[in-house]
Formats: sequence, C-alpha cells, structure tokens
Amino acid sequence: METLKISVYRRDPATEGEGKYVDYEVPMEEGMVVLDAMKYIEKHIDPSLSLRWNCMAGKCGSCSAEINHRPSLMCKARVDSYKGQKITVSPLAAYPLIKDLVTDVSQNWDLLKRIPKFTPKEGLEKPWKISQVDIERSKEFKKCIECFLCQDVCHVIREHNSGYFGPRHVVKAASLDMHPLDALDRSTFMNKDAGLGYCNITKCCTEVCPEEIHITDNAIIPEKERAVNAQYDPIAMIVRARRKGRGNK
Amino acid sequence: MAIYLVEIFDYDLVIVGSGLAGLRAAIEAAKVGKGKLRIAIIAKNQLMRPHSISAEGGSAAVLYMDEGDSFDLHAYDTIKGSDYLADQDAVEFFVRQCPVDILELEHWGIPWARREDGRIAQRPFGGHSYPRATFAADRTGFYEVHTLYDTMLKYGNIDKFHEQFVYDFLIDNNTFRGVLAFDIPTGEIRIFKARAAIIATGGLGRLYGYTTYSHLVTGDGLAIALRRGLRMKDLEFVQFHPTGLVPSGILITEGVRGDGGILRNAKGERFMEKYAPSKKDLAPRDIISRSMMTEILEGRGYKGPDGLDYLLLDFSPIGDEKIKEKLSQVREIGIHYVGLDPLKSPLPVRPSAHYTMGGIDITTTGYTGVTGLWAAGEAGCISIHGSNRLGSNSTSECVVFGKQAGGDSAKWLLSNDKQVNLSEGDRAYAENFIADAYKDKGDNDPYDIKRELWKTMDRDAYVFRNEKDLTEGLKIVRGLIERSGKITIAEKGNVYNQNLIASLEMKNLVELAEVVIYGALQRKESRGSHFRTDFPKRDDDNYLKHTIIQKVGGELKLSYKPVTLTKWKPEARVY
Repeated sequence: METLKISVYRRDPATEGEGKYVDYEVPMEEGMVVLDAMKYIEKHIDPSLSLRWNCMAGKCGSCSAEINHRPSLMCKARVDSYKGQKITVSPLAAYPLIKDLVTDVSQNWDLLKRIPKFTPKEGLEKPWKISQVDIERSKEFKKCIECFLCQDVCHVIREHNSGYFGPRHVVKAASLDMHPLDALDRSTFMNKDAGLGYCNITKCCTEVCPEEIHITDNAIIPEKERAVNAQYDPIAMIVRARRKGRGNK
Repeated sequence: MAIYLVEIFDYDLVIVGSGLAGLRAAIEAAKVGKGKLRIAIIAKNQLMRPHSISAEGGSAAVLYMDEGDSFDLHAYDTIKGSDYLADQDAVEFFVRQCPVDILELEHWGIPWARREDGRIAQRPFGGHSYPRATFAADRTGFYEVHTLYDTMLKYGNIDKFHEQFVYDFLIDNNTFRGVLAFDIPTGEIRIFKARAAIIATGGLGRLYGYTTYSHLVTGDGLAIALRRGLRMKDLEFVQFHPTGLVPSGILITEGVRGDGGILRNAKGERFMEKYAPSKKDLAPRDIISRSMMTEILEGRGYKGPDGLDYLLLDFSPIGDEKIKEKLSQVREIGIHYVGLDPLKSPLPVRPSAHYTMGGIDITTTGYTGVTGLWAAGEAGCISIHGSNRLGSNSTSECVVFGKQAGGDSAKWLLSNDKQVNLSEGDRAYAENFIADAYKDKGDNDPYDIKRELWKTMDRDAYVFRNEKDLTEGLKIVRGLIERSGKITIAEKGNVYNQNLIASLEMKNLVELAEVVIYGALQRKESRGSHFRTDFPKRDDDNYLKHTIIQKVGGELKLSYKPVTLTKWKPEARVY
C-alpha cells in the first residue's frame, strides 16, 4: 500500500519549552485530506496528538492549521494536491499554543463583541423590502466561517503589536455596514479602535480565505474609504451630519 | 495524569448546547430575565460552530396567506408528514409561531433571500403543499446561527463557555441542581451549580456510520437524561435524508429538488414518478428514502464503495444560473469532495442518517417534568414531527421552541427563589467520575467499539427493518455496552485529550443505540421513518401512540403515551 510521509509539529507547552517536528507514515487513501492523516495518527500511531476538528466538510472552521506554512483548513487540503512536496503541518503561528495543533483563538471573541451590532433604521415599514442585490452584498461577508486563517496570515498581526483587529473583523464590520437597512456608521470605530489604518493591503488574507471572500477588495478597501471620507472629507462630513439629524443614515 | 482542579460556578440558568435552540433560548431567557438572571451557555466546541450551521435548505413559515398558504395547510402537511404521530395541538401552536420568529430573525439581520418586489422569497420543500421554506442561499442554518450569536452578544448577562465536555447532571428527588463538565483545553473539572438548565445538545447523531451529522453530535445530553431516568420518547424514529453524498454522507440539501433537481436510477429513469405520482421528487423524506433503497435492492442502482450503492441526483433541470445563485455551497461540495461539478454532472447519493424525531419527552414550553430542567430543539420531543419530519420544519422548531424554553425557564426562575445546594459528595462524585474514566479497565479500544456500533446500526436499524435484524442488532449493541465498561484509553494527559472525549461519547452512543433498537423492535408496524418489512402496514389500532422508554435500575422500561389529535383524523398517506 502507498504511504504518505507527513511531518507534524508537536509541543505540550506545560512540559516542553521547545516544539519539534515528528515524521509519520500513514496509509494513503483515495481523496484523503490532511485532517484524515492527522486523525489516523491520533487513532493508530500516537493518541497524544491534539487537534481541533468537527464537521469535516469545510463548514465549521475548526481545523485551521498551517500546511507547509500556508494557513489552511485541514479538512479541505487534499494530500494529492501536494504531489512531490513533503507535507508539514503546524499550528496557527499568530495565536498562543494550547497543544500540538490546537491554538487559543479566543482573543477573537472579545474583538467581535466590541464591533457595534446590527442596528436597523428606525420606523421602517414592515415587512421590510430589500432587493436581492443588496442582500448579496452583505451576504458575501456573512459567509465567513471564522476559521481565522486570514488573521493568521496577516503580517500586521503576526509581526506588529499594533492593535489592528485583523481581516476577519473588518469583514464583520463590512457585513453590518453593507446591510441595506443598518443605521450605524462603523467607520470611525474601525479606524480609531480597530486600527484599520495599519492594513497595507497586501491581500494575503484574500488568498487564504476558504470561503473565497474578497476580503481586501470588497471589505477592507471600502471600509478604509469610508473611514477616510468620514474623517477627512468636509463635504461628506456635512452631508452625513445632516442625514444623521433626520434620523436616517 | 490529571490533578483534578474543581472550579465551581454559580448560575440561575445553564444552557447546554449552542445550536439554534440553545442560542435562541439564551436570548429569550436574557430578555425575559431583564438582567436579573445569571445565565451561562456552554458547549462542547467553540460556541459559534454547532452542527446547526450545516442546515442548508430553509425554515418553514406561513408568510403569504394572501397568496393561498395558511396555518391549517402547514399544520396538515406537518401532521400528514408525521404519519399522524405528531401531537396536533403542538403542531397548531408551532405553525402559528413560525412566522413571528422567522420575521424576528430578519429584524436581527439575517440575509433572507428576496423576491423581485423585495419581500422575502420562499422555496418549495418535500411534503409541503406550498413553497414556504424561507432561506438564505443553501446555508440557512449557518446564517441563522450567526444571526442569533450576534444577537446574543448584545446581552451582558450571558456568560459563554467554549469547549466544555458535559458528562452528567446533578438531579436528586426529581430536582435539577447542576451540570458537571470538564474544560477541554485544560482538563479542569467544573461544576456549574444552577437553579435551572436547558438541554439543547441536539440529536443522536453519530449513532450511524453513514450520516450527515458532524462528528460533534453524539447525543451527550440525551444519554445523560436517559441515565438520569428521564423519559425518552419515540427514539426509534430516525430520519434518513435521501441525498447523502456517497461516500462521505455529507448532506446535499433537499433545496436541490425544491429548485427542480431529479433523482434517477441506473437506467436513467425518474423513479419517484412510480412511488409518489403527484409529489414525485418532493415527497416526504421517508418515502423517498424507501423508494431509493427499493431501487437499489432491486438492482437499479450503481455499485458504490464499501457497499454504499447509490443513485444519481440530476441537477440539469435547474439551470446553471440558478445553481450558481441558490446552490453555490452544494456545487462547491460536489467539486471538492467527489470531484464532480453539478453544472456538468449528477451527484451520487444514498439515504444518510440525518435527524432524530424522538428525544426527551417535553411539553410545548420544553419542560421535562424534572424541577428546573427544560429541553429544546432536536434533543426534545414535543412532538411536532411524529414519525417523520418534513424538511425545513427543524430549524423553525429550534427557533420557536428554543424561545419557549428560554422564556418559560426564565419566568419560573423569576417567580420563585428556590435555591439549590452542592454537597461535599458532589465534588467527590465529579472527580471520581473522571478519575474512573482515565482508569484502565480492560483491553477494549473505544474507537473499535464505535466502529462496530456504526456497522451494526447501518445494517440492522437502517431504512428497512425486521425482527431478525433488530434482534441481532440488539444483542450486538448490548455486547458493546458491556465492552464499553471494559476499555482503556490510550492517552492520559489533561490537555485537549480526545481519547477521553471519544470514550465518553462512545458510551453515550451505545446506550442510546439500545433504546433506538429496543423501541424499533417493540413497534410492530410501519409508520413514517420506521419501516418493518415484517409488518409493512401502519397499525393505528395498536400503535397510534408514542413510545416512552425509561432506564430504571439499568433496565429499559417501556410504556406508551397517547397522541393528541385535534381536527385531523388519520388517513392513508398518499403523495
């Protein structure tokens, strides 16, 4: 039987100061994904291997890791797509390690909580009428499965302690800002509190998004534009102030 | 190995499970409690990743009465779909509440699909005589979960606990006192002392090997309830979704057929014309699954891997544009998991274990009969689904009855100041439970037992059942229960120990399997999802009643409970 050679990062921070890569051999199967290989190792070779996983269908966003140092969902990474290359699996580097491939991504829960919530305009006639085109615009961002691969790949988060919330959170803000009936303007918050200005649009986040959300073009750049307009464009500021006075956006 | 740090929390209300029912319950309890209740929501995984995100097709609600839909029609469809085992008073309440709660989600920001005029669009679904499945592309459950999660964040008095494995409830003298769990990232034991709890842990899930359920769903709440003597209702009724993708079992939404997709056998025939001349591919799931298995067993299927013979789901009548807009996730699943693009090729499908009609016997407000204990969603059985659930009624159920359970428990908490106390013994019990789980008790491997369970259930308690298979299955499962007490878990660490979790989940599953098979063996008729080849007819004289099974002194005790009929008399079920 054909076997797959795969190298996996192992470390229990409670007892080990340094991590190490351990090589494993697992039997190859048709359509096998990296998560299958990890589960095989856990069940048949070394039960102490820790990993976080759940739906195995690319929907839940649990099994994020780095495969050959590229942030990826292990359940979507087919081993045959790495033909010829050695496969190396390691935890998300941007987050504190819990053990082996499991990281503590909980800082995101607090950031998400801080983004101002959906707030519909007042006095809307019911039932609400929204065009499908407008629904699609905010829906693209609502597709986010919170796998945090975009956060992991972001060099601003990895290398600078800037306070930038990161791409996932800009996508969140965009999903609310682009809801056609939302009344808030989150641009000042995104700029001042969420550090949006630190993003220098290298588009790495868009490249790793398993949901293929156009994070940079459709979320970050429009949010940056809003923030810039809100802060520096005097005409936009007057219009906005008058609109606000009428209880509208 | 573990040093068992026990941390004790003190709450008014603990919600176990963060799927649609749990999230909706938390919001309602916080609303009704007006900041006066201390609420915790705890789940086995990260809170925003429940299995509810996998619900694809839609949520049923009567929104267009002016165009011909009505509460009576939705109720009748549901009751006929249930093969008359649904409690009709509960169904009438449910259908009236659906539009209210579905529109509430809209006001919380969910991206419901629209009609040309900007109002909410609805799609047809199996067994419904009006297109009333409200949807958000083919990821309805996903958008519902995230909308509810975001809404929950508005309430400051809900504490959130991610990755907690719940292994028991403290219940004495028919009164609930707390939840026992361990924190998966640290292994630390936690006692959530609480005056009330809501069990929202979902269905039986991974009782079967070939299933649409994610691996997370292992019936933990149901199994604890069973061990603690609560009444299990109608657990023999397991829904097999017609279109599980071969070989993984991943769900391909009924919305495909709602939008025009067709099932075909190996001869290219649209075989559903034969079995359900009027509804065809949009007949209820039990009927389609049986028709598919008949086609396969009579040799008109395709040979699949590991005995997973299959039929084809043909997307061509839908049209490319509609597939891209409304079924984009299904398309991605096809391309990614079997290398087939539905724009160009049909997908291989076969009935896959999908939903648990039964559950903990509860009232329409979710009350279990144990003081301080409620249940909601798939874990509960009211029953609005009877012996077969209609597609798009479950996500609606979670929202409607999650809200009821949250509201009712909060009102009860506000109306009395009954306190609960922990004893020294509780702490020792909580510790010993886990210490025992780590101990070597024999040479059985938990993963082996789970694999054997899957094989048994897939073979003996699938779409077609009979006395011989069920008897054999029961014998095997009882053997597995015995072996589940004689296991050794290979990994002894505290941090993120999946071996420990897998062994506890496996015990939950084998104990529930016994109830499913036992109930199926006792129900000597065919109704809804439960089809006995040795008793192929529905028998209203003897079995128009709910199965109730309780565990008393380690033995299963069977009783029955009447079905509530209001205005719909049982009649032959023709589609």
